[in-house]
Amino acid sequence: MDQHDEEMEILEPAVRSFSLDHPCSRRQFLKVGGISIIGISALGPVLARGATKPLIIVEQAQGIVVADPVKCVGCGRCELACTEFIDGKASPTLSRIKVDRNLNFGPKGVFALRQGQGNWGNGLVVQDLCKQCSHPVPCADACPKDAIVVAPPGNVRVVDPDKCNGCKICLRACPWEMISFDPDSNKATKCFLCNGKPKCVEACPAESLSYVPWRDLRNKAPHRITTTAVIPPGKAAACQECHLPGAQKIVGQGIPKFFGAVKAGRPSSLRELGFKWIDMVGTALLSVVVILVTVHGVLRSVVKR
Amino acid sequence: MKRIYLHPLPLRIWHWMNALMVILLIISGIELRLPGIAALPTNNTALLVHRYAGWAMVISCVFWFMYSLISGNLQRHYMIRRRDLKGTLRQAKFYLFSIFKGEENPFRPSPEEKFNPLQKLAYGTIMCIFTGVLVVTGVLFSDILSFRKYILLLNIMKVIDATHVIGAYVFVLYLVVHIYMSTLGPKAFFHIKAMILGYEDEADEPEMIAVYEQVPGEPGATTAVISPESAVACQECHTKQGGADIDG
Repeated sequence: MDQHDEEMEILEPAVRSFSLDHPCSRRQFLKVGGISIIGISALGPVLARGATKPLIIVEQAQGIVVADPVKCVGCGRCELACTEFIDGKASPTLSRIKVDRNLNFGPKGVFALRQGQGNWGNGLVVQDLCKQCSHPVPCADACPKDAIVVAPPGNVRVVDPDKCNGCKICLRACPWEMISFDPDSNKATKCFLCNGKPKCVEACPAESLSYVPWRDLRNKAPHRITTTAVIPPGKAAACQECHLPGAQKIVGQGIPKFFGAVKAGRPSSLRELGFKWIDMVGTALLSVVVILVTVHGVLRSVVKR
Repeated sequence: MKRIYLHPLPLRIWHWMNALMVILLIISGIELRLPGIAALPTNNTALLVHRYAGWAMVISCVFWFMYSLISGNLQRHYMIRRRDLKGTLRQAKFYLFSIFKGEENPFRPSPEEKFNPLQKLAYGTIMCIFTGVLVVTGVLFSDILSFRKYILLLNIMKVIDATHVIGAYVFVLYLVVHIYMSTLGPKAFFHIKAMILGYEDEADEPEMIAVYEQVPGEPGATTAVISPESAVACQECHTKQGGADIDG
């Protein structure tokens, strides 16, 4: 009861000044009106800032480590360099670069996307690394904690250990099975190109590994179909801000392709890209102009009379 | 009462179609840019509206440029001439001060010159610079497969975004002023009526044509084809010493 009374005490003057039967003086009207105008014009940026948006990575990675399988001797020094630099211990199972033989037997069976090449595999040495996927980034999209973020330099996709809760969803989301999991710290971990200086490249004695600029080869290779099964519903809704349902399907050839693209295209999700100061300045200018125009109009009608 | 034909039919139709599209684009653009303000039910609706209205805007913009160039509309009404420098000041002074005293607008539109210098400046900038920038950046955004590739390659997404949004804000600012100033005629709906019907009413007085001071070097009215009787009538207003002394 006490609290209710207190609330009423605070609310009553406010309610009184707004109620209709209360004669409103000119000063009060101007005060309330002025505050309302400023408040409403300030509302836009505030509301826009308050909205929480799921993390979606559109920035393109700038580098990638590629391996030349002809030169690789399978010594595994890259794996040791990786884990020694990042984890401080030699633990090839944790390594972000994964070198092993394409053998189609053992407890695990064949590794992701490596075809068996016969019943037992072809026994060649295979080197695998994070591909630094362009948008959509499957591991980052799947992460329910938004723990896989873009980091400078080179826009690498990196696991933020503070946010990661060890749910292992990213391990399933990565089409290349390139996410490692550290059971000691219970965190996922992935290649971040050692901040622009990959230690595996430095350690490779056969010069098989090289650090090169990222290049989009998707027009030259078969199209990658991203699975959306592991994307949480909240994030999938955000995907549809850019990708309208069914919009990606219409692609033809030549002129039909152009019109298909016209039909299927979408404006980018601009607000993901920031520049809130433009909105601030814009709304401020807009309210100034509206006030000026109103003053001009009022003055005109007053002077005419 | 005289009626002068100011706005040809194609331009009138274009103006109102364009107005509809601009309103749609602004509403859906606000929804896309500031999702906190629920202007439309869902984001998908806003996207659809913005996309289709955007492509309509491209067509509209191309039509306007083609029509204006071919019909001479652009050269006749938008070209800024030397005498406009003085006219700009005079017009600004009118809108800022003398309008409150109930004075007449110093500029009178005619089929030969329908915009005052300030209008020329405003419409010219909006149509030739800001609408152009908005349309070009908008097309780049529209994710036509080939454009998107180069945008990602050059990493200029943010630049295009900022340009598009700044242009949009300028356009909204312009629109507020444009709508307000369209009501500044003798009556509130005077200019709007003219934009719908094409004709603007004019009081029945003979010297109602826009007359600016002659600037030396500008082509003046030729008197060679005026018959002697009319020339005498001319001199009632244009005295030999005071007025335009042609050929000494």
